[in-house]
Amino acid sequence: MAITPFDEMLLPDGSPRPTQEGMYETLTGLGSEGLSERARQRDAYLDRHGITFTLGERERPLPMDLVPRLLTSDEWTHIEAGVKQRLRALEAFLSDIYGPGQVMLDRLIPRKLVTTSSHFHRQAWGIETPNNVRIHVSGIDLIRDEAGAFRVLEDNLRNPSGVSYVLENRRTLAHVLPEVFTHHRVRSVSEYPERLLEALRAAAPAEVRHPTVVVLTPGVHNSAHYEHAFLARNMGVELVEGRDLYCRDNQVWMRTTSGPEPVHVIYRRIDDEFLDPVHLRGDSVLGVPGIINASRAGQVTIANAIGNGVADDKAVYPFVPAFIRYYLNEEPILPNVDTYDLSDPDQRTWVLGRLEQMVVKPSDASGGYGLMMGPSATDEQLANVAQEVQANPRGWIAQPVVTFSTCPTVVDGGVLAPRHVDLRPFAINDGTQIFVLPGGLSRVALPEGSLVVNSSQGGGSKDTWVIDDTTPLGYLPDAAQYDLMTPPQPVPEEVSRRHDAPAMHDDRMVQQERQQQQTAAPAMEQPC
Amino acid sequence: MLSRIAESFFWLGRYVERAEATARLLAEHHQLMVEDRSVPEPWACRVLLDGLSMPTAGVETPHALVRAVVGGELDSATITGAVSAARLNARAIRDSLSQDTFEALNSAHLALSRGIAFTASPGVALHRVLERLLVVNGIVDWTMPRDEAYHFMVLGRELERIDMVGRLLGIRLSELWPSSGPPAALRAAGALSAYLRTGQPMTANEVRRFLVLDPAFPRSMLCCAADAEEAVRGLQRLGVSESGHLLREVGMLRSQLEYADTPTADQVEYFVADARRAAVRASDEIDRAFFRQHGTIVWSH
Repeated sequence: MAITPFDEMLLPDGSPRPTQEGMYETLTGLGSEGLSERARQRDAYLDRHGITFTLGERERPLPMDLVPRLLTSDEWTHIEAGVKQRLRALEAFLSDIYGPGQVMLDRLIPRKLVTTSSHFHRQAWGIETPNNVRIHVSGIDLIRDEAGAFRVLEDNLRNPSGVSYVLENRRTLAHVLPEVFTHHRVRSVSEYPERLLEALRAAAPAEVRHPTVVVLTPGVHNSAHYEHAFLARNMGVELVEGRDLYCRDNQVWMRTTSGPEPVHVIYRRIDDEFLDPVHLRGDSVLGVPGIINASRAGQVTIANAIGNGVADDKAVYPFVPAFIRYYLNEEPILPNVDTYDLSDPDQRTWVLGRLEQMVVKPSDASGGYGLMMGPSATDEQLANVAQEVQANPRGWIAQPVVTFSTCPTVVDGGVLAPRHVDLRPFAINDGTQIFVLPGGLSRVALPEGSLVVNSSQGGGSKDTWVIDDTTPLGYLPDAAQYDLMTPPQPVPEEVSRRHDAPAMHDDRMVQQERQQQQTAAPAMEQPC
Repeated sequence: MLSRIAESFFWLGRYVERAEATARLLAEHHQLMVEDRSVPEPWACRVLLDGLSMPTAGVETPHALVRAVVGGELDSATITGAVSAARLNARAIRDSLSQDTFEALNSAHLALSRGIAFTASPGVALHRVLERLLVVNGIVDWTMPRDEAYHFMVLGRELERIDMVGRLLGIRLSELWPSSGPPAALRAAGALSAYLRTGQPMTANEVRRFLVLDPAFPRSMLCCAADAEEAVRGLQRLGVSESGHLLREVGMLRSQLEYADTPTADQVEYFVADARRAAVRASDEIDRAFFRQHGTIVWSH
């Protein structure tokens, strides 16, 4: 464990990397007092705007660090290409296993591994999506290893959350710490809601010309409700709950004051299991009975598609590089992290022999729940995990501990200290192209030395910048834009002139003021 | 009521609105400059200052811009100046205002005069000022009887609002910052959520049309004209004579905006200029009819 993590801002000798010199100076110039003051302003801002997530019973602001994380355009080009490639392969995999199943016939992945995934839903078999997209929105988690190379840690193809924090972090940072923006041109993230709406519209059933899109939320008690409301508001669509919708004749309707209105695309932020009590969990009060049949009938599009979870199952994850070669005939751009398949007896024995050096994760969970970090676990925890793995090998995977890269982070007392970060770039597939939002969510593990970044486990976030270093600061691409400065018809003086209360500039007012004070006012000039 | 009192109410309405709209506009403009650095800073500064009819010399950085627009008490085009002028008018009519109104205005004035706006993150400071100005409007809304004074105040607010929306549109955020400009313009008018609900595309022309002609959004020029017209009718109902010309002025503006065919982008441009001109004429007319009835002085024995 003596491996030094990759520091994204500082070189091993402690000086800043050349791309980050300006940022480094600004931050050190503020000093710990300045940073503490800004941290207070940030908390006030987040509280006031109600930018929160719910953890347990409490609603709290997502801890946003004041130090942004920088990615150069070269790094970004690499990440973007890798994410797109991986998504194309995963899309192909999903439509394969919910269709012909060729990948299993070719024995690339055991059929048993796919069908035993708790997120594989037979109910979704044979459903064809209108534009062949199943992963409308994804968030693939990346980390940077000791050498600084990006690797995929896990795929999130169901309901990845956090994109609202990407947008809010940018606004918040510009609000409370505008100075740090001085040295760079940062690629904007604000187009996300627009892109998402376009992609959702593009996913509508083919014959619908003006599709109605809705966001389906479990309700205000969900941990990501803030994000659901954020997306609905910024796309200008209805935020609905299951009880607002119903199905009739394989068509989904929403109840409105002007009667039922048809719904064509549902961006759902509720889990598969709760979506349709007819086919899945019968006791679900969050879902809409009949929605899967409507989707099979091609009358409504559910985004993301049902059953995507099989492709981000952690036991399927080790096969993804093979999928990339199989479906795309390409070499993976972003490598995986080494992963041991615990259903294989040899690998299992090997892993169980050195559990204290491993990270063991439940294969079907997300959010860092159930995860065990070998090096920091107690003997009792190790024994428990060993027992559980023996009992249900399919339910677990093991990975060697990977030391993520670190970024300077403001900790208690306004001090900068390195903390581990990961990166979740968000991608939207509209059927013709995949758009990867420049930047994404950097999550930071706030306790010293911690490698667990999930917000449900005490992680924070960082504003993540993709630097546009292709054009210099303050450069207008088109000189003609300068003409904009002369309005087509100049505003006439009588309009642009400020109108003021006459008393404001009146000499008499000054006299009045003095005399009202009843002080020694200069004598009024006598009219001749 | 006394002309002097009516005049103070009118200008109180105008200055509170001016301070609020200018603060919103500055906050958004500053955020744009910081977040998207494609527009040269001196340029971006000049655009805002020109739009607000303020001197542009020597203002070339976001920080200097904030200083200039937050300004000082002497220039009523600045935020501090407008708040200060509003307070001056409020003092003259303190007995006719509810105590809460004066307090809220006073705290906005104090916040500014203590110089909180000069902290390095202006958004934080501007928010505090905005909050207090909103309180002023809120208290007026639920404590003021709908009497003459109220109608004069509403008239002032609506005419200033037309002027400020006109200035906002004149600044052309959408053309300087093509992608982030349109939502920023909407935010500066408090209209982003309302606009998104319409499902219109986020283009410069559609946003402009919305801010001029939307029949339901209270800061659109059309709604301002309609509210001003309603205020004049309110005055008439209370028996204030002399409002004939004024009613004609605001009524014509309202009907022009309300019954326009779906206008082209150029026509919208024309409406903006026309509305601003009409607002100027209406303001002059109010001044002539109610505040400055220059009677001939008659000396008698």
